[in-house]
Amino acid sequence: MKRTTYIMMAVVFGLFVLSWIYKGISLQSNNDHYILDGFLVTFSAFLTLAVLSFLYTDNPFYKFAEHLFVGVSAAFWMCLGFWTTIVQNLIPRLSEGVSGFFKVPYLPGPYNFFFFIPVILGIMLLMRLSPKGGWISRWPLAWIIGTTAGLNFIRYLRSDFIKQISSTFVPLLGGGQHEWQGIGHFFSNFDLSASGQFVALVANWVIFLGVFCGLVYFFFSKEHTGTFGRASRVGIWILMITFGASFGYTVMGRISLLVGRITFLFRDWLGLVS
Amino acid sequence: MADLGIIVSLVIIFGGLVALFVRSIQAREVDRRIIFLFIFIAVAAPILFPFTFSETATEVVKGVFDKIESLPEGSKVLISFDFDPAMAPEVQPMANAISRHSLEKGHKIIFMSLWATGQALLTHSLANYILPGFPEKQDGIDYVNIGYKAGNEGVLNVIITDFRKMFPTDVNSVLLDSIEVFNGVNSAKDVDLVIAIGGGKPGPKEWVLFIGDPGNIPIGFGVAAVVAPQLYPYYPAQVIGILGGVKGAAEYESELQKTHPRFRDMDTPGLRMMGPQTLAHVVILSFIVIGNVVFFRSRRREKKA
Amino acid sequence: MRYWCRIAPLLLLLFSVSPFAQTDAPELPDTASTDLAPPAPVSMLRAHDTDDDHGHSITLEWELSPDDGAGQNSVVTYEVFRWVPSVMDILDTLRSRLSIVNSEIREADGVTSEMKERRVSLQTRLKELLGQLPEIHEQYPNDGEWHQVGNVGSRNTRYVNSGSKDTESSGFIPDFTGFYYRVDAVTVDSSIRAVSKIVGPVQSYGQWFNTGRYPVLFAVLIFGFLTLGFVIKAKKGAKLYVRPLTGIEEVNDAIGRATEMGKPILYVLGLGTADMIATIASFTILGRVAKRVAEHRTRLIVPTYDPIVMSVAQEVVKSSYLDAGQADAYDDDIVFFVTQAQFAYVAAVNGIMLRELPATNVYMGKFYAESLILAETGALAGSIQIAGTDEIAQIPFFIVACDYTLIGEELYAASAYLGREPILLGSLKAQDYAKAAVITLALAGLVAANFGWTTFTDLFIVAN
Repeated sequence: MKRTTYIMMAVVFGLFVLSWIYKGISLQSNNDHYILDGFLVTFSAFLTLAVLSFLYTDNPFYKFAEHLFVGVSAAFWMCLGFWTTIVQNLIPRLSEGVSGFFKVPYLPGPYNFFFFIPVILGIMLLMRLSPKGGWISRWPLAWIIGTTAGLNFIRYLRSDFIKQISSTFVPLLGGGQHEWQGIGHFFSNFDLSASGQFVALVANWVIFLGVFCGLVYFFFSKEHTGTFGRASRVGIWILMITFGASFGYTVMGRISLLVGRITFLFRDWLGLVS
Repeated sequence: MADLGIIVSLVIIFGGLVALFVRSIQAREVDRRIIFLFIFIAVAAPILFPFTFSETATEVVKGVFDKIESLPEGSKVLISFDFDPAMAPEVQPMANAISRHSLEKGHKIIFMSLWATGQALLTHSLANYILPGFPEKQDGIDYVNIGYKAGNEGVLNVIITDFRKMFPTDVNSVLLDSIEVFNGVNSAKDVDLVIAIGGGKPGPKEWVLFIGDPGNIPIGFGVAAVVAPQLYPYYPAQVIGILGGVKGAAEYESELQKTHPRFRDMDTPGLRMMGPQTLAHVVILSFIVIGNVVFFRSRRREKKA
Repeated sequence: MRYWCRIAPLLLLLFSVSPFAQTDAPELPDTASTDLAPPAPVSMLRAHDTDDDHGHSITLEWELSPDDGAGQNSVVTYEVFRWVPSVMDILDTLRSRLSIVNSEIREADGVTSEMKERRVSLQTRLKELLGQLPEIHEQYPNDGEWHQVGNVGSRNTRYVNSGSKDTESSGFIPDFTGFYYRVDAVTVDSSIRAVSKIVGPVQSYGQWFNTGRYPVLFAVLIFGFLTLGFVIKAKKGAKLYVRPLTGIEEVNDAIGRATEMGKPILYVLGLGTADMIATIASFTILGRVAKRVAEHRTRLIVPTYDPIVMSVAQEVVKSSYLDAGQADAYDDDIVFFVTQAQFAYVAAVNGIMLRELPATNVYMGKFYAESLILAETGALAGSIQIAGTDEIAQIPFFIVACDYTLIGEELYAASAYLGREPILLGSLKAQDYAKAAVITLALAGLVAANFGWTTFTDLFIVAN
């Protein structure tokens, strides 16, 4: 490694220790575990800054933080998978003795023997790791795909298909709580507020055109020419506006996360903000 | 001091933007790290020198608020914390606000989670943010935490018919039959309102597909901003309201403070975050404008050439 | 002295008449003890099994009491009562003893055979009694009493007495057992109430079919038959038209450009697993790209995220090279595994982009938060970028950073367009016809809703 790298690492290590001491002292007054908590806050801040340092350039601190995250999360999910799925969901239905060993409540039931089926399928799925026996894992995979498709088919048809069709039955004249009472009434009570009739009317027309033209855009059995093509163009415009709104929302979400992290750094670590 | 700080920050930011604009017009390259620095200052300055805006709840957010407000005292409300620490800065404020609102209205709350990380965040929230404001509320009588169960939407598939099959006990290993909150609650259909807070899978969409529509149960969402646009098609026919991102949280907190004076002094992270959020958005909008102006100028120049 | 003699009779008179001046305070009317008439009871009370459920539930309906919200004694609550035989006390005791035994077993360090025997004996006794419940309920009205099972507020005319199907639960309601119900109209003073007629015996039972879900059944049947029909038609060799997709058309030009520049083509399959539809669609497109690349003798780079995806992709690329007659040009290193960590994978692919400077980057499959990082780096490297994903949240990022993007379903259509497999083509056509049906129904429903023709719009209501 280059000399500058060594110096950099020494400086970072020194700052880490200083911060730990400072944090420990500041937490001492109202915390029994001030040394550990001081270390945890400092380490969290160090990892945050290490990841953010990637914005300047790739560096060993970023690599360390990333690898640590990958390793810890893999171990965390593995342990969690065992304790929540196998110990809490499977074992209480299979064996009273083993349930007692793991101190989880035994769940007796007349159909508990069915739970041996997922055990067998799970073992078959693990055969994926074997070069010769890998083909066996296709059967439980097929079971998973088939069951998921079957369970979800009805639900998606109901919630994402039929209910969405009925949601497009919007009043094109009037809207919201407003009944259409003629053009005279409409213009005499005209207002641009969000709860007004005009905005509700525009919203309903946008919904109607957006659904209709968006579906036309995704129609693949006909060339998009003529009136059909024009409707398709309106559809793609509406889609792009939607994607723009989605983009904006995502940017807002990412900024929120950044705000959360910087708040942690300034408040919990440096104590600059109460 | 705070005002001076924010004025200085604004001068630095807008002065920098002008310099950036001039540099771009002159077709000189701008290092992307400068842009990162701008965003950092735009976010850090309002945190160090806080300023907040007043918020008015939109109809979409008010849907959730009004429902909780209108339910009679003693109604059963199920709140699911389906998020991880990565999403927490956005959705934690709304989770806390909705929980406080429900407790204030005297509803019986069932807390649960479909995410393993959600349970830890739920326990932490209850102990540090929600219950300290309600010392009179008792576990098992006013609220209950039934925790996390693995199975994703499989859990929802079971609790729509029988809660106890999936959750025989709460997190303290007390049988649900012994818990007062669960009197008369055999399945999710016996609950008066479900609030799904999250943004991943399983999340709000699964709550609508497996619980809301089949069980005809009113559902409200509190979601991360990333997934909010995908969930708006469900409003208002299938969900009563959506709190999208920090803005949604801020609107809810604002409405809560207006309606219930006891919350005037409560911590409002949602409202607090809108300051840095707004300034960051203004900076990003400026970048977009600068980028587009430069793009169209260079295109016109090329056409002339 | 004379003074006192003069006033003495006066005083005497005063004191003598004063007792007669005292009168008792007039007796105030005792409002509390006024006899108020009870309100009128509910009428037309009927009870029936709750429709479209799995049983263990009875629905009661009635006409409002005339004193609901009006009248001398306004009704504020309706209390629902069910006749419960006295044996239910024994059942409750058995259940609570069973619950205690279960808690003891749970908390004990080791489960003894005595504990198990106790539990089995309690469960057996419980089961015996539960089996006798239908006969015991026939003893009505002897040996039982009325228990309140629920209440609803005023202006309500319906109550569902729904119970658990778990026999060990205190809320258990047995099926095929004759129940008797009554509904009391109750005022603010709960002692002033009106008792309705008693209805019963009424039995609960489960239904095999939920009639409220007919719309879903029709949708399943229609969509299923459409898919089956078109797949069979495609298998028989019928030409099913799919309109050309801009992004896919550009792939050929992009491959040509890469050949001219002598630069490689980078193909990223995304972060999905081999069972995801987006990844499966991407395999078909990869096969087409690999064939064109083999024909042009351009270099192809395919870094993968999942080991299974890697092995499938290797097979796809190999067979494409064989089809193009360039078997000797195929190299196993074309498709290689990188890592299963999301951002580590992205970092590796970014490194490839910046080192190899591919002429064309193709992103087809499942992408998450890394989509913008990939597309941005590709743009920095100066590559033509074509993307396609069904992740709605990532589509905006591909649209802004890539030259051509396949949005959502266009990715599936692209794989059908290129691969021409009967199943893919058939299901795509079925989806198109379903979309046409949606457009037609939506328009018809819109017109119906605006003219108040509820017969049509009610067809789309799915009960729970």
